[in-house]
Amino acid sequence: MKGRLRNSSALWLGLLAVVVLVLPLVVTSRFAIDIFIRVLLFAFIGVAWNLMGGYAKQLSLGHAAYFGLGAYTSTILEIKFGISPWIGMFAGGVVAMLASLPIGALCFRLRGPYFAIATIATAQVLMLLFLKFRDFAWGAEGTTIPNLGSDPLMMQFDAKAAYYYIALALLTAGLVITHRIERSWMGYYLVAIGEDEDAAEAIGVNVQKIKRDVYLISAFLTALAGTFYIQYIYFIDPNTAFSFNISVEAALVSIVGGIGTLWGPVIGTALLEGTSALLQSWLGSSLGGVQLTVYSLILIAVILWRPTGLFGLFTDSYARIVHRKPVGARQAVVDG
Amino acid sequence: MLETLAQAVINGLLIGGIYALVSIGVTLIFGVVKIVNFAQGEFVMLGMYISFFLATYFGIDPLLSLAVSMPVMFLVGVLLQHFLIRRVLGLGDMPQIFLTFALSLFLMNVALLLFTANYRTVDTPYSDSALYLGPLYFPVAKLIAFVLAMTLSGVLWLFLHATDLGKAMRAAAQKPEVAMLMGINPDRVFCVAVGISLALAGAAGSLLMPFYPASPMAGQTFVLMAFVAVVLGTLGNVKGALIASLMMGVAESLGIQFVGADSGLIVVFLMLLLTLAFRPSGLAGGAMR
Repeated sequence: MKGRLRNSSALWLGLLAVVVLVLPLVVTSRFAIDIFIRVLLFAFIGVAWNLMGGYAKQLSLGHAAYFGLGAYTSTILEIKFGISPWIGMFAGGVVAMLASLPIGALCFRLRGPYFAIATIATAQVLMLLFLKFRDFAWGAEGTTIPNLGSDPLMMQFDAKAAYYYIALALLTAGLVITHRIERSWMGYYLVAIGEDEDAAEAIGVNVQKIKRDVYLISAFLTALAGTFYIQYIYFIDPNTAFSFNISVEAALVSIVGGIGTLWGPVIGTALLEGTSALLQSWLGSSLGGVQLTVYSLILIAVILWRPTGLFGLFTDSYARIVHRKPVGARQAVVDG
Repeated sequence: MLETLAQAVINGLLIGGIYALVSIGVTLIFGVVKIVNFAQGEFVMLGMYISFFLATYFGIDPLLSLAVSMPVMFLVGVLLQHFLIRRVLGLGDMPQIFLTFALSLFLMNVALLLFTANYRTVDTPYSDSALYLGPLYFPVAKLIAFVLAMTLSGVLWLFLHATDLGKAMRAAAQKPEVAMLMGINPDRVFCVAVGISLALAGAAGSLLMPFYPASPMAGQTFVLMAFVAVVLGTLGNVKGALIASLMMGVAESLGIQFVGADSGLIVVFLMLLLTLAFRPSGLAGGAMR
């Protein structure tokens, strides 16, 4: 039974892989590809957030800090030193990891809402600093990334599909890393911390170390997304790179999709960005505020009626259809 | 130099009075219901729009519209507690944080849809006048706002200490189980606490209107200040929140005066991070006073 279930999920994964790989070859509308790229990118940011916010329940609202640091590191390296964003991307990741150490040391002493507020403050302080120090990084005006036409070595492409595949690669890497962590000791420790930090500490989990380690990984991945995004839109300023909306969306997609689950952020992003794209094509982009109004309503609905996220809905109904057994009996089927 | 310093302190104290109304609201909800209300700033924003529309369409002075904004926001608070917050109590951090957070996003963006991002101002006869005391000046609108804000805070303090309902509220904040055994109905106390808290936010909005433009994002500044003040003054402590708010106002004003116009917020955030780092339980410590 166990083998059959594993085979069937491998089958689904294979199908999914084929679909996402050929998608940009079939769909050529730039508008559609742009939406796909946004979905992949924000799903990836969600996956990075979810490692810490979902599994360990450290509800950060300041991941824009790492997104922005990644974005600025690669941009400064590219424009001032001519270093390729491919290298800058990982340099940005390292900068974000270094920044996460003091930020984590400060914020991890705090719980729940205190932690969330402190993380908001760290991202805001970084944004204000980048706004203030003009000589260092262009200040409030920001800068455009020099357009070199098609230059794959500098992460610049004519075809939008190229960006799609980069985003897809990032998301895949994020999911593989999450999957590996989920099945490792670290994953169990993280869940234990998420359930009850004090109890985890009492049974010998080194809570501070685990939180620090997962924050390093989460910050690194978020920074990669920052570099990619700025390369994609060819522009950077503090309000874009450290936008509070980035922090919000990272948390939102994970919560809506399913906090602390592998596929939750992906499902959440597909749902939210899909809704947003539909609204945009119906109403035009003139009505500011529609997107976040709808996001917030979806979030409230999920919190009130399905706090574990929508991911469970899919697996439950899948189990019901495939096995024709009540949901409660699913565990028994898997174990049998 | 000394005059500049004194003037900066006065400006800070005057705006600190408004911060106090917002922070007391946040700390009251936290003390009694044990929830951090991320949407408190948006209720300030709603109070501003109530006063703006009453002034624009009916010619009612923003200070008189306190009589509308406070009861309306009180009712909103009761409904908020009864229909939304009550459902996530005891469910853990995620639903508790993100419910009011989602509400904040919702109100901000609905306001953006309905009222657009334009800045709205109300011009009153006293909007531009000031009292002079030697070289120092006190803008009248801010002075009135400060005095009324302090009066409302005083009334709240009296309510918490001299009435049965107020005492019940403090009891429920300190030991909810024991309070229940003493026959206090927590649902009712929670509703009143959230109602009062939102009424204060609405009052802050109305008091701001003569000298501060209303916009969908207007509440953000105030809620950030309130969070800092509430943490600094110990979450759940009304007196602590009041004193910390006045301090925040002065700190921000000094930052603007001596470091640069765009440095007010940096000073405030750094104060928050330093407080969290060295005194995470706040400067006052202890429960609701």
